Amino acid sequence: MLSNLLPQGTRDEFGSRAAIKQQLISVIQAHFKQRGFASIATPLLENQAVFAPYEIGNYQLYQLFDQDGQTLVLRPDMTLPVARFLSATKVPLPQKFSYVGDIFRVGRRLSGAYNQITQAGVELIGYSSIKAELECLTLANRLSAELIDDAVEIELGDAQFAQQVVASLTADATQQAAIKQALFNKQIPQYQALIAAYQDEPLYDFLQRWPRLFGTPATIFAQLATAPLPASVQTGIDRLKAVVAWMQQTMPQQAVSVDLSSEAPQSYYTGLTFRGYSQAGAGYLFSGGRYDQLLANFQAKPEPAVGMGLDVDLLTELAGTTTTTQPQTLIYFDPLQWSQAEAYLARQPQAMLSLAPDLAAARVEADQLGATLIDLTEGADDEK
Amino acid sequence: MMKNNRLKIALTKGRVEQQVLPLLEAAGIDCELVRNKQRRLIFDSTTQPYEFILAKGPDVTTFLERGAADVGIVGSDILVEHQSTQYELLDLGVGECQFVLASTPDFDPQAPQRKIIGTKYPLITKRYFDRLGQDVEIIKIEGSVELAPLTGLADAIVDITETGTTLRENNLQIYDYLQPVSTRLVVNRLALKQQQTAIYDLVDRLAAVVAPKESAK
Repeated sequence: MLSNLLPQGTRDEFGSRAAIKQQLISVIQAHFKQRGFASIATPLLENQAVFAPYEIGNYQLYQLFDQDGQTLVLRPDMTLPVARFLSATKVPLPQKFSYVGDIFRVGRRLSGAYNQITQAGVELIGYSSIKAELECLTLANRLSAELIDDAVEIELGDAQFAQQVVASLTADATQQAAIKQALFNKQIPQYQALIAAYQDEPLYDFLQRWPRLFGTPATIFAQLATAPLPASVQTGIDRLKAVVAWMQQTMPQQAVSVDLSSEAPQSYYTGLTFRGYSQAGAGYLFSGGRYDQLLANFQAKPEPAVGMGLDVDLLTELAGTTTTTQPQTLIYFDPLQWSQAEAYLARQPQAMLSLAPDLAAARVEADQLGATLIDLTEGADDEK
Repeated sequence: MMKNNRLKIALTKGRVEQQVLPLLEAAGIDCELVRNKQRRLIFDSTTQPYEFILAKGPDVTTFLERGAADVGIVGSDILVEHQSTQYELLDLGVGECQFVLASTPDFDPQAPQRKIIGTKYPLITKRYFDRLGQDVEIIKIEGSVELAPLTGLADAIVDITETGTTLRENNLQIYDYLQPVSTRLVVNRLALKQQQTAIYDLVDRLAAVVAPKESAK
């Protein structure tokens, strides 16, 4: 019988998990609103072409056909639909958008991964100043401090760094891509075989250390200072230094690290990147960065943009046990006492109206909930 | 998936376990609990910040992907077949063998027909024949793959072999060599950030005992 079975990789959310997630979303949305972001909701379904720049990795897309035989997909990403919206509507820029919604990526069968992920995020479009990155970092810092108890580390990177370094080694694009791929995936045996060709280059010592080029800003900047890197990386490094200095001054409690050995979250990133993780979580809590070429896929004129997405499901897991959601008081009443019951409900934060037909059924309901039963009919009887 | 601060190492049980335990011990890691395992599958070291779990190779990749283990020790055949996306930090230089295309002596690799290939590794097989520009029918076999051409189930097999003895004893010969295989140390992407010092300490200690053997070859 398939009628009551879920498709692979999906789940129902109810009870405390659903309540915690809803609570988190409310807090996140309050921050978005307080900062003046315009809410945007795009459809779950998009034309597949919207996601042409999106790297799906080992995942697959949920695909279906429309009436004309065009391939539609359940969106695997929230950023490209916003870019599609902007290019199609000519909304005046700059604009700050925020969203909360579900994305879909089909993972390996029977691997325990969920294919539907709730993401909240912001897109600051039309802003070329570093202030856009700083607003995202401020938001990430405040939200993570408010939403989870665990300390969150913010890791900064640069989307261009690796390409700039490999381009200084060889003009062969295939070789450049192979080195970057082995580096990003830390396929160290393969990476070492690839860089062996550059043993006589002044950069070889750096190449050997490159896969471990992540850690505290001071250690990473010290390593960069001694490496004979191409001049092209300097702008990115200076920007990283400026952002680290700003963070240390503006949010001194925030743990920050630098990673110049990893891939940007998506290939459309062009500048500073950032991600956050805690010691307890099995994934990144948020990631984002600058993608100035994003709209180039949809229109001739590119627009500067910075965005960030938060993994609401992972935040929910980590926020875990902090909220109790069960009603602690159940109000039994006669329909004629509705106003009185409503007033009681308004006064008690964790109360619920009992819709049971009689007192005996209300007692069973209260037992099931572990709640105290308030019987408003009792007082009414006394008055009679 | 919540984590604690102990390094959880998933070790492929069986031959990999037997070959890797001496390396771990040479690197100064106490494996006494694993050696005296009896029927247990999880071992929490009382003296070192390691927790070992014993699992089948494909499951090691699943534990790693989901963050249920921080470090995995598993054959590169399984990493490729299961499309591992985690970091591969070290070739441990043990469990070395080779993927081969093998069949009975009357097999003709150039025959103009759509071949039927038996294998435990459908993805690696598909990639190999894709590279050759050949479309083949792949039959997934779970064990004793050598039976496939002998019984007429398949025209040939793609399998791993260490010395070729089993193939020869079953009257099969090698027609082509695919990629080499060895045991690798793999690390969950986020675990490397969360436990950078502990993981690189383990990797460097193992690299020090693997390297002399490499250079002696």
